[in-house]
Amino acid sequence: MALQPITGPTSSPGSGIFPTLVFVQGNEQRTITLDHSPFSVGRKVDKDLVIADPRVSRDHAIITSENGQFEVVDQGSKHGTFVNGERIQRKTLERNDRLEFGVRDVSYVVFHPHHATSNTAREFLSQISGIHISSESTDLEKLTLFLEAARKLNTTGVLDEILVTLLEATLKLTRAERGYVFLKTDEGMRLAAGRNSKGEPLLDDKTISHSILDDALKSNSEFVVTDTSQSLELKGRQSIVAYDLRTVICIPLRKPQVQATRDIQAVTPADTSAEVMGALYVDSRFASRDISSVSNDILQAIAREAASLIENARLVQAEEASRRYQQELSIAASIQQGLMAVTIPEVPFARLAGRNLSCKEIGGDFFDAVNTEDGLAIVLADVSGKGVSAALLASTLQGMIYSQLTARMPLTEIVAAANRFFTDKHIGEKYATLIVARIRRDGELEYVNCGHVPPLLVCNHEVIRPRHGNLPVGLLADATYESDRCNLHPGDRVVLVTDGVTEAENARGDFFEDHRLEAVAAKSETLEDIFSAVANFCGGTPLNDDCTVVELVYTG
Amino acid sequence: MDLKLETHVTDGITVVSCHGRIVLGEDSAALRDSLKQVLTSSREVVLNLSGVNYIDSSGLGTLIAVYSSARSAGADIKLAGLGQRLRDLLQITKLVTVFEVYDNEQQAIAAFHRGAA
Repeated sequence: MALQPITGPTSSPGSGIFPTLVFVQGNEQRTITLDHSPFSVGRKVDKDLVIADPRVSRDHAIITSENGQFEVVDQGSKHGTFVNGERIQRKTLERNDRLEFGVRDVSYVVFHPHHATSNTAREFLSQISGIHISSESTDLEKLTLFLEAARKLNTTGVLDEILVTLLEATLKLTRAERGYVFLKTDEGMRLAAGRNSKGEPLLDDKTISHSILDDALKSNSEFVVTDTSQSLELKGRQSIVAYDLRTVICIPLRKPQVQATRDIQAVTPADTSAEVMGALYVDSRFASRDISSVSNDILQAIAREAASLIENARLVQAEEASRRYQQELSIAASIQQGLMAVTIPEVPFARLAGRNLSCKEIGGDFFDAVNTEDGLAIVLADVSGKGVSAALLASTLQGMIYSQLTARMPLTEIVAAANRFFTDKHIGEKYATLIVARIRRDGELEYVNCGHVPPLLVCNHEVIRPRHGNLPVGLLADATYESDRCNLHPGDRVVLVTDGVTEAENARGDFFEDHRLEAVAAKSETLEDIFSAVANFCGGTPLNDDCTVVELVYTG
Repeated sequence: MDLKLETHVTDGITVVSCHGRIVLGEDSAALRDSLKQVLTSSREVVLNLSGVNYIDSSGLGTLIAVYSSARSAGADIKLAGLGQRLRDLLQITKLVTVFEVYDNEQQAIAAFHRGAA
């Protein structure tokens, strides 16, 4: 058997074989898979890469792929497409090329022809086979090497690829005409891959002897070789007659037992009582060659190794799924960050600033600001819990409150409506603490504190903590809410924080606490002073909860 | 898990004592589960929180949820032995108006007996 580099259908997306673009914008970067051609770039929302910057044309450029080469083509953009600083109309891309689309300062894209772990099972196997397998090796030695090599691919391989590789190897070793892998699913045995000896894909059809397959699965054998010429009983079976089947080899794939070592010598004989997860099936016709004499050693080796290969490939797939989930999470995080990216209204009588530090990828804090004829309204909220569920509720709550602030509803009605929404929808144990406030041009501040950390009113470096408060939003259906008012003078400040700030913990398990917050708020000039005080206090202990600080300065 | 729960019966009242932190995740789940379990057999429960040094917003959410479902099922939970931090938290969130809070376990138990008398 000669293990030539195998060429076959291209593998499915997600196997890490596609080139990628690393899109860098300001301090953020993300990796984009270049999995189709042409790949479009522009300001329009339907582009594959949307860059929201007025200097980027709506249809700015495309990236095309031909014969493994990638080319960027400018689409008549106004501000040009640049590769490594040079304005181009059309250019073939090389590794690490820096692409800029109209914008020359804050965002750019770096081209990577392949993902760092782009070796597919096939490429890897062909390399291994080229190095290790000499023509003097026996078939079994080759198989052993082959399968061992394939097993080492667990970090990069995917199930389909493993199955096809396994089938091709098995067909070559057994000299059978057709081969199939069936995997057990909730709906019974389903065909997972099929190949003929020419490497062409095969689908399930009635010429496969399902009766022999079923018999083999029920048997306790490591493999079953059926020579129809030797069995009168089998001659009548439909598929055997229809396809003129001579020999069928069926290898049940049983879940491998947990092994302490990965040494091939230590592999225990397949435990025939173990759970069947599929079957490897190969057959040949009368008119074709006889495969009934395939050595038992080879079949045994396949039986032992194939199952663990598939099991490992499945584990890899599960990891892949979890990686995708992580991607989903980071998408959710960017949506959340988008919501947090508040455009702070400019008003002549006050200055507003806000900043959020998230502890996990996404959190339940948000703040927002709306300027209306009644004054500048702000809201700071903290939804209990963390992660996606908290972020979902935070986004919903933010939308509700934003629209009601815009509609100039009374503050107490806004929080009462939010409370009704939360309690009507039975959101479980989730609730939100929040402060919603509105400052008028004349300095009158009206606010409703719903179970939130009391605001800090800083007047002449003196900090006042009003005791006013209400129940949090979403805990009790019949809660009623009252607001509090105070008059600010020019220079007075209102500092709002979430409990992530007061409950920031240091290595000793102490909290930042209100008194430290008050001390820093009294003498601080900016939000950054508060964040650096918290950071100094924590001394490297990671945040447990989101920290958000909002500061309103009444300028008069 | 930081939270330890222990249940005993004094003068016919079931007392659940908590030690440690009640925070998001296993801790608040354990508290919810054991209170639900207790409420299947007792209608009068004292939750002794004197051993609790920290409760986060999720823990508080759990507490309210269990409390509300107990009330709607005709049962009653009284809180006892709250530390300063938890008192402050209930004050800020105005939940002192919702819970019945007692200085210690004995007072909470006595309150149940007064109510029954």
